[in-house]
Amino acid sequence: MSQPEILSQAFELGYTYTRSTGPVIGRFFTELKKRKIVGIKASDSRVVVPPMEYDPDTAEELSEFVEVGEQGEIVSFAWVKKPREAHPMQVPFAWAMIKLDGADVPMIHCVAAAAESDIATGARVRAVWADETVGFITDIRCFELV
Amino acid sequence: MANLAAVVGIGQTKYMTKRTDVSIAGLVREAAFKALQDAELTWDDIDAVIIGKAPDMFEGVIMPEVYLTDALGCNGKPMLRVHTAGSVGGSTALVAASHVQSGTFKRVLTVAFEKQSESNAMWALSNSQPFSTHLNAGAGGYFAPIIREYMRRSNAPYDVGIKVAVKDRLHGARNPLAHLQKPDITMKEVEESFMLWDPIRFLESCPSSDGACAMVIANEELADKASKPPAWIRGSAMRSEPTMYAGRNLVNPQAGRDCAADVYQQAGITDPRKDLDCAEVYVPFSWYEPMWLENLGFAPEGEGWKLTMEGATSLDEGGDIPWNCSGGVLSSNPIGASGMIRFAEAARQVRGDAGAHQVEGAKLALGHAYGGGAQFFSMWVVGSEKS
Repeated sequence: MSQPEILSQAFELGYTYTRSTGPVIGRFFTELKKRKIVGIKASDSRVVVPPMEYDPDTAEELSEFVEVGEQGEIVSFAWVKKPREAHPMQVPFAWAMIKLDGADVPMIHCVAAAAESDIATGARVRAVWADETVGFITDIRCFELV
Repeated sequence: MANLAAVVGIGQTKYMTKRTDVSIAGLVREAAFKALQDAELTWDDIDAVIIGKAPDMFEGVIMPEVYLTDALGCNGKPMLRVHTAGSVGGSTALVAASHVQSGTFKRVLTVAFEKQSESNAMWALSNSQPFSTHLNAGAGGYFAPIIREYMRRSNAPYDVGIKVAVKDRLHGARNPLAHLQKPDITMKEVEESFMLWDPIRFLESCPSSDGACAMVIANEELADKASKPPAWIRGSAMRSEPTMYAGRNLVNPQAGRDCAADVYQQAGITDPRKDLDCAEVYVPFSWYEPMWLENLGFAPEGEGWKLTMEGATSLDEGGDIPWNCSGGVLSSNPIGASGMIRFAEAARQVRGDAGAHQVEGAKLALGHAYGGGAQFFSMWVVGSEKS
């Protein structure tokens, strides 16, 4: 029996999008550009980073910004042995849930480390800023072990 | 139909070219919050949220419902996203209504939106696909030959579309939420606007808008206790047919006729022009008014344009069956929301809450949406009375 021909065609789907980020996400990005990280205080007083526009419990609008530290601790992690092109780092690194000092919930980012054995839950990390900040989440290039 | 359900709250944003002050979440939230306020309810009074929008590629936010749960108070509640291209606002309202009519939920919030300023509305609506058997003409390029065929079949005078374009903008000037505000528009101005997709002129086309529309739909027991008059859902129907099938009647689609017959039968309507007080019908290009007048049974085939030219569909000319008193899609078009706006504006009319575009004493109104290659149809009839 002959093998069916597998059809393959280069197909790139892409448009240029604009975005209005609103008063909360917009503020977070603006602060990143200034190399500062802000969270927002939720109805139960927890500081949520990155900030949310609406309270996860009551659905009310949130507006009380809180600056948090650029250092924190790893809550959990996954080691990436062989990074792919789309990964934020091209050498082995860790995806990690990082609870920044002053925040009550962790946020996800990448952690640079020489070896998986250097990473642990509870390990302290510090933000490494991009050479030029533009107001994207990638302004934090990665975190590194303290 | 199953249990009775009614619209007890309506919220809309002001439609405009760009809402740079809010995120997509903020836009959706604004309409939803207004609907709750209109119903004098809070987030806690809502059992489930049904959301709709046009294709994800529009704004490039994949599965936007995922990130809109907190904006819509969905914590701990079921949330469902509906999609049927341009008719999605209508089908979203119908899915929401069916959740109440079935007795599954007592009171649901439904919301539809589009933030077209952040999107590519021309091409992202229907992307070309690998190994597709068809080329892609874009919305205007797809509909223009269908309109030309209507003109040929009906022998309608060339200025019917121009008249609709003027009529709907004059209606829109009565509605402070309408995007286009053109109280001084003239036939000459429309005629001299540039030809976009021959025979569709620029001013015979809908604008591109940012906006959201929301409704609260409640069961009979709760609607009876509502603080403002409810709009009772007297009939609801959806129909589909294949898009890329050359054998179908694109000028007068069977699915549209069947959908109308179904919704009229449920609502006890035998003569839509006589039995209904007004209609909000999806007319994104002017010539779709005469085409849908025929498709929806308001006029015999080939004669829809006569109603338009006689002024029967015009509020300003004292027509007997005003169409698109809100200004319609020709005055505001946040695509994903446009169908729901039709449904909500029909409800506003029978609630007696349509302001300067109110049809005096409206008791029964049709809301209509179509989408895809004129292949998805959704309609409801709402009334001031239960039966």
